[in-house]
Amino acid sequence: MSGTAPERAGLSPRRAVYLIARREFATRIRGKVFIIGTIVAVALLALYAVLQLAVIDRINTTTTFNVAFSGSTTALAQPLEAAAPSLGFKVHVSDVATEAQGRSEVRAGSLDALVVGTPGAPQAVVETGIDPTLQAALVALAKQDVLSNDLSAAGLSPAAVESQVDAVSLHLDTLHPATAAQLQGPIIGFVMAFALYLFIGIYGSVIGQGVVAEKASRVVEILLSTVRPGQLLLGKVVGIGLVGLIQLGIIAVCGLLFTVPTGVLALPGAAIGAVAIGVMWFVLGFILYALMLAATASLVSRVEEVSSATVPVSMLLVVTWLLAYVVAIPAIDAVTGGGAVSPGLETLTTVISLIPPFTPVLMSIRMAAGEVPLWEGLLAIVLVLASIVGMTWLGARIYANSILRFGARIKLTDALRRSR
Amino acid sequence: MADRVLEIDRVSKRYAHVEALHELSFEVRAGELFGFVGPNGAGKTTTMRIVLGVLAADAGEVRWGGEPITFATRRRIGYMPEERGLYPSMGVTEQLVYLAELHGMRARDARAATARWLERLGLGDRGGEQLQKLSQGNQQRVQLAAALLFSPDVLVLDEPFSGLDPVAVDVMSDVLREQADAGISVLFSSHQLELVEELCDRVGIIRGGRMLAAGSVEELRSGSAPRYWVDVPMAAAGWAEKVPGAAVVRMEGSRTLVELQAAAGDQVLLQAALATGPVREFRRDTPTLTELFRTVITEETAA
Repeated sequence: MSGTAPERAGLSPRRAVYLIARREFATRIRGKVFIIGTIVAVALLALYAVLQLAVIDRINTTTTFNVAFSGSTTALAQPLEAAAPSLGFKVHVSDVATEAQGRSEVRAGSLDALVVGTPGAPQAVVETGIDPTLQAALVALAKQDVLSNDLSAAGLSPAAVESQVDAVSLHLDTLHPATAAQLQGPIIGFVMAFALYLFIGIYGSVIGQGVVAEKASRVVEILLSTVRPGQLLLGKVVGIGLVGLIQLGIIAVCGLLFTVPTGVLALPGAAIGAVAIGVMWFVLGFILYALMLAATASLVSRVEEVSSATVPVSMLLVVTWLLAYVVAIPAIDAVTGGGAVSPGLETLTTVISLIPPFTPVLMSIRMAAGEVPLWEGLLAIVLVLASIVGMTWLGARIYANSILRFGARIKLTDALRRSR
Repeated sequence: MADRVLEIDRVSKRYAHVEALHELSFEVRAGELFGFVGPNGAGKTTTMRIVLGVLAADAGEVRWGGEPITFATRRRIGYMPEERGLYPSMGVTEQLVYLAELHGMRARDARAATARWLERLGLGDRGGEQLQKLSQGNQQRVQLAAALLFSPDVLVLDEPFSGLDPVAVDVMSDVLREQADAGISVLFSSHQLELVEELCDRVGIIRGGRMLAAGSVEELRSGSAPRYWVDVPMAAAGWAEKVPGAAVVRMEGSRTLVELQAAAGDQVLLQAALATGPVREFRRDTPTLTELFRTVITEETAA
């Protein structure tokens, strides 16, 4: 066979990493986590969008009240119809021959209210209760009727007074304008941060499982006879991370497609910006956590032991998520006008969001809220990149020292100290 | 070709409390099948892992073609680890192509070599299946293919015959012989000493991390004291002890196995035998590898 040895292409470190990443990618993209996860997430998003649409639809659909007037209160019918659109409802005025007939129609449900009495002192006959808006409108009309009568009695023109009263308004001098729409910034950031937390957790555990599966099946011994541990580790992180990134991308794009056209999101620009920031932090955060998870997972030899071996790292991730709530408060406060949160808390959130393991999740909230100065954002990126470099060295060392030691769980201190 | 020698030169390796290898030295020449035998825990697997760079030696050197072995030259070694290892849920062809590419082959060559080896090992129609769906013996063949398909210069196989049925043993033996004949250095370990004796050009007996004996089975035999089977039915008991330099190993009926201090004493022994009456058999006893192995191991223990 060797006589016909094919020409050797050689294996550069880059090609080694590429081959390993390609295998991981090809395997995982056909895996359950990717296929089922994506389908479920997209279905949930679609369901959410449909529900939101239904809610908006419900809000936009104005209620029509069937009201009948009896006796002198018929004078209120026309003003009520006129006032209805500005109050967000419609009125359908029915005629009733007698009060008794009206009462029976209310009982039968074909009338929402029968107004009797006088315009200045109306009584509403209802079956179980009255819509507060309708009630307020009737009260306001009755008051106006009383007022008009009194004005006329005092020799004033009710119409002139009314136009004067209407001219009065409150001029708003808004120092820090906040709208519900702007609040979406931190909220989108929060959703993005949750997605990050989830994805780093899920794909981090895929890395951990993969490392130990290779160790358990001993295929790692063959792999390490041709590639270096660092190359193997890097290839796994790149390949699996890419699958996670694609899934995150699909879900984010579907999220935007479902929400932006339906008007659920008032700020599509902010949402797209948050997704872009989120993707950047996912890449950095995933690499950092994947290295830590791979290193700790390599200490054990059986797949069942992975979750216990990686507890310190997964705890760190859970703590990050708890801190996300703490960080969200000043982020929302900054949008809504500030001052509600003590400067101490603001400083604290700034500091903790700069600690590298916390940075990716926390910064994606704070940056989406738009409260992070440029220097702080750049510092955060530099710190995370530096810790990735440090973790690559440290993680590769632990990985290299543990990956071929089968059997009982290896102490971290041993893995750090001993060379192969 | 002459310089294509795998040299293990005074390699030492110590684990926490155990000295696994102590200045172990031997060489595997091009085109040679080298059988590595020794009791469990002797250091065979450790030696192989060091050759593959999977473990680092504390001292000593592994050379290939006179040069210290590097990461690049290690890629030219086909390796079959003791604990078989491939991806259980990955397709057979898919992972063989992957492993070939990791050893520096181009994708096209890797696919061609994979198809060729699967065919050669009788797995031509199984390439699309997941490895775990195959029988143990067939998985072993895939493992062999993984070591061979990138046309290595050296083969290092840890217990390639363990767990194989007789047919698979024949296939494995044929392949190893064929590889050695093509100029490849083949180092393999085994507990099946008869197989090693039949197959190997040279044998190394290792124990406690030290090479006790290395050479062709013939050379190993020459190192041991010569023994003769003598069948003298008329002889009185104890006739052989009277011959100078001779010792009786054991007796089977009228046959006596006599060990001499030097091969030169064989004529004296023959005359002594003839002196007792008719001699039905006078034959140099060639010890099997198993016997040599036992002798070497027990001598070492006694010493």
